[in-house]
Amino acid sequence: MDIDTDIVVVGAGPGGSLAAREAAKHGANVLLIDKKAEIGSPKRCAEGVSKSGLEELGINPDPRWIARKSTGVRLVSPDQTSVWLDEDTIDIPESGYVLERKVFDKHMAMDAARAGAKIMIRTRATAFERTDDGVIITAERMQEEVKIHAKIVIAADGPESRVGRWAGLDCNTKFNNMESCVQYEMAGLEMENNNVIQLYFGSVAPGGYTWIFPKGDDIANVGIGVLKTHTDKPAIEHLNEFIKNCPETQNAQAVEINMGGDPVGGLIKERVGDNILVVGDAAGFVNPLTGGGINSALESGAYAGIVAADAIDSGDYSAKNLQEYVKLTDENIGEGYDKYKKAKEYLLSLNDDELNDIAHEFVKQEVDEISPKTLLKLLIKVSPKALLKLGKLF
Amino acid sequence: MIVNNNCLYCGACAGVCVADAIDVQELKIVIDEEKCTKCGLCVKTCPVAAIEME
Repeated sequence: MDIDTDIVVVGAGPGGSLAAREAAKHGANVLLIDKKAEIGSPKRCAEGVSKSGLEELGINPDPRWIARKSTGVRLVSPDQTSVWLDEDTIDIPESGYVLERKVFDKHMAMDAARAGAKIMIRTRATAFERTDDGVIITAERMQEEVKIHAKIVIAADGPESRVGRWAGLDCNTKFNNMESCVQYEMAGLEMENNNVIQLYFGSVAPGGYTWIFPKGDDIANVGIGVLKTHTDKPAIEHLNEFIKNCPETQNAQAVEINMGGDPVGGLIKERVGDNILVVGDAAGFVNPLTGGGINSALESGAYAGIVAADAIDSGDYSAKNLQEYVKLTDENIGEGYDKYKKAKEYLLSLNDDELNDIAHEFVKQEVDEISPKTLLKLLIKVSPKALLKLGKLF
Repeated sequence: MIVNNNCLYCGACAGVCVADAIDVQELKIVIDEEKCTKCGLCVKTCPVAAIEME
């Protein structure tokens, strides 16, 4: 089967669906394809998202896909010292809602459909070729081969990021930047506070952290991300050990397991080429400190959709004409990431004792409001190297 | 390369594959043995140790 369209979007995660919605809204013919049988499932994610980030993109919160609101964060050091921060005290990235991704992702795809995008599920891109005036994405739709002739492809194919590579872009994730993640959705947790997201740091999760994101009174996503440059054990062994030892999880039962790679190296430079834009995880739109990527995937998708539709309008699909997307994402997302990346490098340089010292100092101080300045002051007091690694950030 | 039953097709392996040799299908992983350089990065990255090198 042959299909003609202005724009084909590969991958119906949040980034792809928002790209499809925006491009369709701006007048382009859009086809959104996804290899899965059910959009949004299985999730590969802890499901945390920022409230304000959704608002900025005009996505109205719907109780169907909000599992729980979070009011703050609990940071736990290796000796189990807890630092409790609430949202009034500090701006916590990727926090506010814990989603039900299976519902949210479908909601976003439905919105794209309502804006006029066509959707094909169980349709997996297998090849990319260039033609005189565009591209052909070959796809397998169940048993059938489909040739999609498009002027522009928006690659939203997740951390695998193969479509961009087929187009000649250098967008695979370097091994030392790929968090290896696994998570259980569990019931029967005994949480001290089931309205905050929890992050456990130190040797419990080499190169990353362990998380508990509550989805109900006794339900939570319990997961881990580790850098495999920091440990030889598979992520799941670290997670199972954590669950056995953590008083909140040791009696809980898993009802689902998820896994995935999380590219935390920051934005890839080559996110456009002739006839192609890369969005979401596929282009490294993941907060390097937190590993959270839903908000920035959505934002990148929105920019890509608009820039692509404008390009269709002007009849110029060259990399040069798509460069506006790089500019928009650099300014609005990339610059923030550089700071988060530095903060992450600092965090990774701390051993368990240093993390404990910092947590103790936090607990000692009564902080009403945390500004980057007070935070830095506190960190320098405990470990002078903070000045060296973070001083220039603020 | 052997993909064992731990695999849940998450694609972390494909993301780090420098040779673009790993095809993550809906319920299947196919490793192109001709492209594969046996570098082992996929084996290390897999969160559940689902890839083994012969």
